[in-house]
Amino acid sequence: MKFSFTDDQRLFAEGLRELLANECPASHVREVWESGAGHSPELWSHLSGMGVLSMLAPESAGGMGGSFVDAILLFQELGRAAVPGPVLEHMAVAVPALATSSFGEALVSGESVATLWVDDSPYVAHAGVADLVVHRDHVLRSFDASDAHGMDGGRRLFTVAGGDRTDANVTVAGLDPFDAMALASAAYLIGLSERMIEIAAEYARVREQFGKPIGSFQAVKHLMSDALLKVEFAKAPTYRAAFSASTGADTLVRDISMAKALASEAAYRTSRSTMQVHGGIGYTWEADLQLWMKKAWALMRSYGDANFHRRRVSGFVLA
Amino acid sequence: MDLRETADESAFRLEARTWLEANVPAEPLPSFDTAEGFALHRQWEKKLFDGRWSAVSWPEQYGGRGADYIKWLIFEEEYYRAGAPGRVNQNGIFLLGPTIMEVGTEAQKERFLPTMASSEIVWGQAWSEPNAGSDLAGIKSKAWRDGDDWILNGQKIWASRAVWADWCFGIFRTDPEADRHRGLTFILCPLDLPGITVRPIAQLDGDTGFAEIFLDDVRVPVENTLGEVNKGWGVAMATAGFERGVSLRSPARFSEAVNRLVALWKRLGDKSDTALADAVTDVWMQAEGYRLHTYQTVTGMLEGRPIGAEASLNKIFWSEMDVRIHEIALQIIGPEAERMEGPLERWVDGFLFSLSGPIYAGTNEIQRNIIADRVLQLPKGM
Repeated sequence: MKFSFTDDQRLFAEGLRELLANECPASHVREVWESGAGHSPELWSHLSGMGVLSMLAPESAGGMGGSFVDAILLFQELGRAAVPGPVLEHMAVAVPALATSSFGEALVSGESVATLWVDDSPYVAHAGVADLVVHRDHVLRSFDASDAHGMDGGRRLFTVAGGDRTDANVTVAGLDPFDAMALASAAYLIGLSERMIEIAAEYARVREQFGKPIGSFQAVKHLMSDALLKVEFAKAPTYRAAFSASTGADTLVRDISMAKALASEAAYRTSRSTMQVHGGIGYTWEADLQLWMKKAWALMRSYGDANFHRRRVSGFVLA
Repeated sequence: MDLRETADESAFRLEARTWLEANVPAEPLPSFDTAEGFALHRQWEKKLFDGRWSAVSWPEQYGGRGADYIKWLIFEEEYYRAGAPGRVNQNGIFLLGPTIMEVGTEAQKERFLPTMASSEIVWGQAWSEPNAGSDLAGIKSKAWRDGDDWILNGQKIWASRAVWADWCFGIFRTDPEADRHRGLTFILCPLDLPGITVRPIAQLDGDTGFAEIFLDDVRVPVENTLGEVNKGWGVAMATAGFERGVSLRSPARFSEAVNRLVALWKRLGDKSDTALADAVTDVWMQAEGYRLHTYQTVTGMLEGRPIGAEASLNKIFWSEMDVRIHEIALQIIGPEAERMEGPLERWVDGFLFSLSGPIYAGTNEIQRNIIADRVLQLPKGM
């Protein structure tokens, strides 16, 4: 029993954090939102160059040959930076599921951009910026995408019509694409939450009221500590779910659902507490916090919300 | 990362399970906070010691097995699974013992650890004072030097196990000029010395699990000092770290409780009440999350990443979870939740006990301050 990441896994995640600190600061996320682009081709090519996008593709297909345990800290780092565009969908499902198909080469290299439609939502995130929409049993090209006005400018929503259809059997190492996305989203939500806490802690250190930094007040300390508590205790279940996914454990669906339920609740609690710590500025468009909050609110409901996943866990635990 | 047990770990689990199945008393012992229960629990500890199961993570020379933390967690899982008695000497084996191993002299290790492992000496804790609770640095009990002795004077309160324990450990002000955290010394003291009066305090459940200790010119030799003179705060914080962190409340305790809760729900829960099913599932996930988090923490410790102020997160998590487990159980058992004796009394006892969790070992509000100051780096202040 060894519950830790290898030095290589840690170093790779640190490398990604560094890359994103340079290439995806809050100002860049905001630019992607405000320009209406919903995606950052420059950043995409950096992620491709580093091998992030192809982490889960086999080496024989030009990928990094990694497992979900190799990828989970990367999902978390992507969340910390609120990376815009269909990076999770592409990386966690499209690349590993289609690496050896006719779409494989362009997907693994990042030249073609894929998003997913594997839930029963009428909307498809990122469709307007993607070349492919991947379903469980087919792939769409040359479709029409109409803006559905999503709240998160880095995860624009669309309705999709028409398109050329190619049959495909989309699974990720035996995992349903919905479950693969639930797992990737759980880690991304943890990363978002970590960063929201950092942003709010920084604000609480400098913002003064009653002649003192507001972070010196217990009411503020306790809000922040409670948020951190939820986030920290969502991490180990998420890493365990990655291990279960990597090894095809019997408990895999239960473990992924537990991770997504806990991470979704932690992210929502964190968004509320960190916004509250900001006071009035937290309710403005200008505050960067919104870039993380809205992503959290979008992802906590995607690929099953906390209630959906809790009920799935119930099915195993109370049966 | 490999979350599967090694063959060696599985063999250890089996050995523990086999021994426990053969030796755990068939009937639960009376509470160790009664005279009879205390004596029976001391006998049980001796039996554990004779099987070398009382302090599995300690070095063999002191009666342990030199087991790593992972094996210790496995042992705890088997211990709770077997329904074995509560650990009457946990103040010693899980808190003071590790502290002595960290800061004690070789002579102190030889002198105190073997009798602790065998529970020939059972330890009580004497930290809080009437005016030093959450504000523990406000300690006023004094110790001053007289030749080779300390002379202790003052009053301690909420001293757990002190009613029947043999010795206690506490911190005393040894430099009257020094302020707050400075000038305190960690001293070990027999509880049967002249000048000591122990007044039992009945807990919420009526048992006397803690006491007040009055010290009136109590004389103890200076070799009973643990760590350096006037550096007792640091020693106490190491002990508190063990208490808040992994060692006092191992995850097995909650996994076992939550498994009993699931069984209770299956037997008596209203299956049409989806909110209740959600609540049971939530707390199951918490116990499982705590277990996983602990395995991650101890792997980090084994790889040289010691636990720091994050221990405060654990303390809040397990104590609030324990209350929640019992709240849900009482909701399920309905009218039985009002009875102190009956077929479901364990849940009622457990509920009352769980309510102490958010208070002792530093209230959860104090833990939130510690997290905010030391993990989140927020400015100090109240």
